Amino acid sequence: MREKIKKTGLLLSLLVFFLSSASWLLAGGDLLIKNATILTVTGNTIPNGDVLVINGVIKQIGQNLTAPAGVRIIEANGRYLMPGIIDTHTHIALSGTNEGTDAVTPEVTMAEVVNADDTSIFTALSGGVTMVHTMHGSANVIGGTNVVLKLKWGKPSEELIVKEAYPTLKFALGENVKQSNRTLLPGRPQRYPATRMGANALIRSELMRAKDYMAAWDRYEQLKKSKNPPANLLPPRKDLRLETLADLLRGKLIARCHAYVAPEMIEFLNLSREFGFKIGAFEHAWEAYKITNELKAAGVGISVFIDSWAYKMEAAEGIAYNAAYCTQKGILVSINSDSGERIRRLFNEAGKAVKYGLTQDEALKLITINAAKQLGVDRLVGSIEVGKQADLALFSQHPMSAYTRCEMTIIEGDVYFDREALLKERAAASTKKGGLL
Amino acid sequence: MNKHFKKRQPASVRPLTTAFLILVLVASSINMAQAGRAEVKPAYALVNCRIFPVAQPVIEKGTIVIRDGLIEAVGPAGKIQIPEDAELIEASGLNAYPGLISAHTNLFLETKEQSQTATPEEYLEALSQPAEPKEFPWLQIVEKIKPKKQTVEAYHRAGITTVVVAPHEGIFQGQSVVLNLNSDQVSKMVLAQPWALHINFTTERGVYPSSPMGTLAFLRQKFYDTQHYSQHLQKYRQSPQFLKRPEYDPFLEALLPFVIDKKPIVFQCNNLEEIKRALKLIKEFKLNAVLTGCNEAWRVSQQLKSASIPLLVTLDFRAPASSVYAQQGQAIREKAEKELYPANASNLAKEKINFSLTSFGLNDTNFVKNLRAAIKAGLPADQALRALTIEPARTLGLDKQLGSLEPGKIANLILTKGELFDEKTSIVKVMVDGTLFTYEEKGQ
Repeated sequence: MREKIKKTGLLLSLLVFFLSSASWLLAGGDLLIKNATILTVTGNTIPNGDVLVINGVIKQIGQNLTAPAGVRIIEANGRYLMPGIIDTHTHIALSGTNEGTDAVTPEVTMAEVVNADDTSIFTALSGGVTMVHTMHGSANVIGGTNVVLKLKWGKPSEELIVKEAYPTLKFALGENVKQSNRTLLPGRPQRYPATRMGANALIRSELMRAKDYMAAWDRYEQLKKSKNPPANLLPPRKDLRLETLADLLRGKLIARCHAYVAPEMIEFLNLSREFGFKIGAFEHAWEAYKITNELKAAGVGISVFIDSWAYKMEAAEGIAYNAAYCTQKGILVSINSDSGERIRRLFNEAGKAVKYGLTQDEALKLITINAAKQLGVDRLVGSIEVGKQADLALFSQHPMSAYTRCEMTIIEGDVYFDREALLKERAAASTKKGGLL
Repeated sequence: MNKHFKKRQPASVRPLTTAFLILVLVASSINMAQAGRAEVKPAYALVNCRIFPVAQPVIEKGTIVIRDGLIEAVGPAGKIQIPEDAELIEASGLNAYPGLISAHTNLFLETKEQSQTATPEEYLEALSQPAEPKEFPWLQIVEKIKPKKQTVEAYHRAGITTVVVAPHEGIFQGQSVVLNLNSDQVSKMVLAQPWALHINFTTERGVYPSSPMGTLAFLRQKFYDTQHYSQHLQKYRQSPQFLKRPEYDPFLEALLPFVIDKKPIVFQCNNLEEIKRALKLIKEFKLNAVLTGCNEAWRVSQQLKSASIPLLVTLDFRAPASSVYAQQGQAIREKAEKELYPANASNLAKEKINFSLTSFGLNDTNFVKNLRAAIKAGLPADQALRALTIEPARTLGLDKQLGSLEPGKIANLILTKGELFDEKTSIVKVMVDGTLFTYEEKGQ
């Protein structure tokens, strides 16, 4: 068995190589997909529909569409076309996850450590994922700024970054930041904060420092502009840590907060009101079902696992109905993978929401338009609409079915994953001697 | 080429040559037996050798006169007057090249022996020690080096006569020195001290910064702090009244010459992303920078081309762990290391990007082996020679003294049997600062 896995892994990796050679990719981003069952997500499902993509943008949706000469035609044969899947919480395609040495590290920027070589990108593509919100980890109370990527496998890292997405800053509460589950080595002190009130106090004191910092710069700018600036006028020290927090207070950054239990989420909502910063979503939010009124009033969404609760104390009161129930209560919910492996079956995860009470259409939204809204890119992606970017995934059956399989993944009209072509390449590579690179 | 240079020797030289020929042959056969013999004479004349001056076209049969460790004259045989006091070295059948420069090594540094057999208790004990940041921007590596004769000899045999010795611990690693491999005495060897501040995109263990993004933030913060410190110092110098004095900061003091006065900073880029990160920082803080490592430089050639930052490209072909070629098992890694990474230099050459080659991360034998592999992968031999002579000399700011065989320059040269990069070539004589080293041929 192990040998078999190893062999498959190797073969897959050969394919990764073929993919990474640019010639494999289509250039131009023009496509006509014919005879698909189009799950538009925001509109009605179109049976036997066609989608015309020109320059990476959806130009036309309808029936019996024709393509300009030279445009590749993909025959869907009734298979299911859905918007590219968006994962709102992962850590793939990065050279690091946590700057965990300090409880407060907002100065670190995940956009600067994108690793376009990470093979998890390809794994994700094989499951129809086209976009990820890839984040700083939850090792500290205030982590770093996160980044949204399109999974353009084979392209340089800077071309993956989605500049239109919300800039977000990672916060975390609970067991991870308190280091509750960590065995302390002899001689090593426990890191502050080790309690829930400590975490809260730390965020408050850091934000107050940021306010002082902003005031110091304002004072300096004013003096500099005055008619007779003092001769000894020096600018304040530029502090990247406080700069980022100042951006949060100025509304230029949006908080994304890892939190499991209800009281912690309530505390963070209070902090956001106290300091006037925006919260994009709570991450994991296992106990969101307990505070749906508060979340709805604050307009804060959640990015959660579908099931797999109770893997630690703070997840003990998680329920599999969380995502479905919160959706029904009018909260913006997305399903995340938080994993380089689960990401390739995120559609299965969303599909489970059907069991817990959502319709197929509602479940589909958890990994498409809802996710796009949470990332601030819903005018660009998240549904199949004319004018939106052609980030698409073609499935063998309805993507919410347990028996479905992703056949093709398209980003801006370029095919980045094509199962059929890949299998052919695999067969060719396995017979060709030394034809790997 | 240069056929017209192949003139017979003038009559005045001929009797001398014949007389010395036997002497030299006898002498050299004695030298062969004693490997690594070093000698210094006030003047030498290398005669009848094929000269690759680098800066000029090849001289098929020429003479090089050396006096007091410097090149006095280079030219076709017969055009050069051989001084009477010069020790004649008959070098017919030998090729003369400038000594090679490896502009990034960690030579002569004592590395801590890492125990492979630590008990779990020892391991835990080590872990529980309070972690200390390993940052040494002030470190002068010249104070730490302990040259060894054997290493000097090994590098001579690889053709290398000049090295940059750089520190190798931490993010702000310290300041490097340029050495001529003329002996094992540091004071004699120093060519430039300090040369540059070395920065590596690595991480600390157990202390901040422990992640690549932390390292970037840390670097940026230090650069901003240095700017602020300098501004404060300047103001204070101008008018110390009604201004609180800046608090003395040894870290920032060490950075001032590099961040403010724009002395060179060398960024060690261990993968393609780190090259991009370095280019970004260099632009942001207007640094006078050099990139080293860069064994994935071909993957970012367009950015490198437009940035035109000096490159020290290592001949170490090991794929970095982050690379797509290293994540998919041994077979693919090996293939990439055999086929893709050796072609790095030739790809850069095709893109008309200037670069130097270094032995960074390699020992003397691997350096020679990999150099040949790079040439086999398409790097033209003359370009390889430039990348190990005049290019690094320029990057080091030593192109008036080093990098080619020209009058007035330091007498660093190598004499080979066969063309420098050929499989069977061996280096038989090496001259560094005018000190002549004679080596036994391989296989004898």
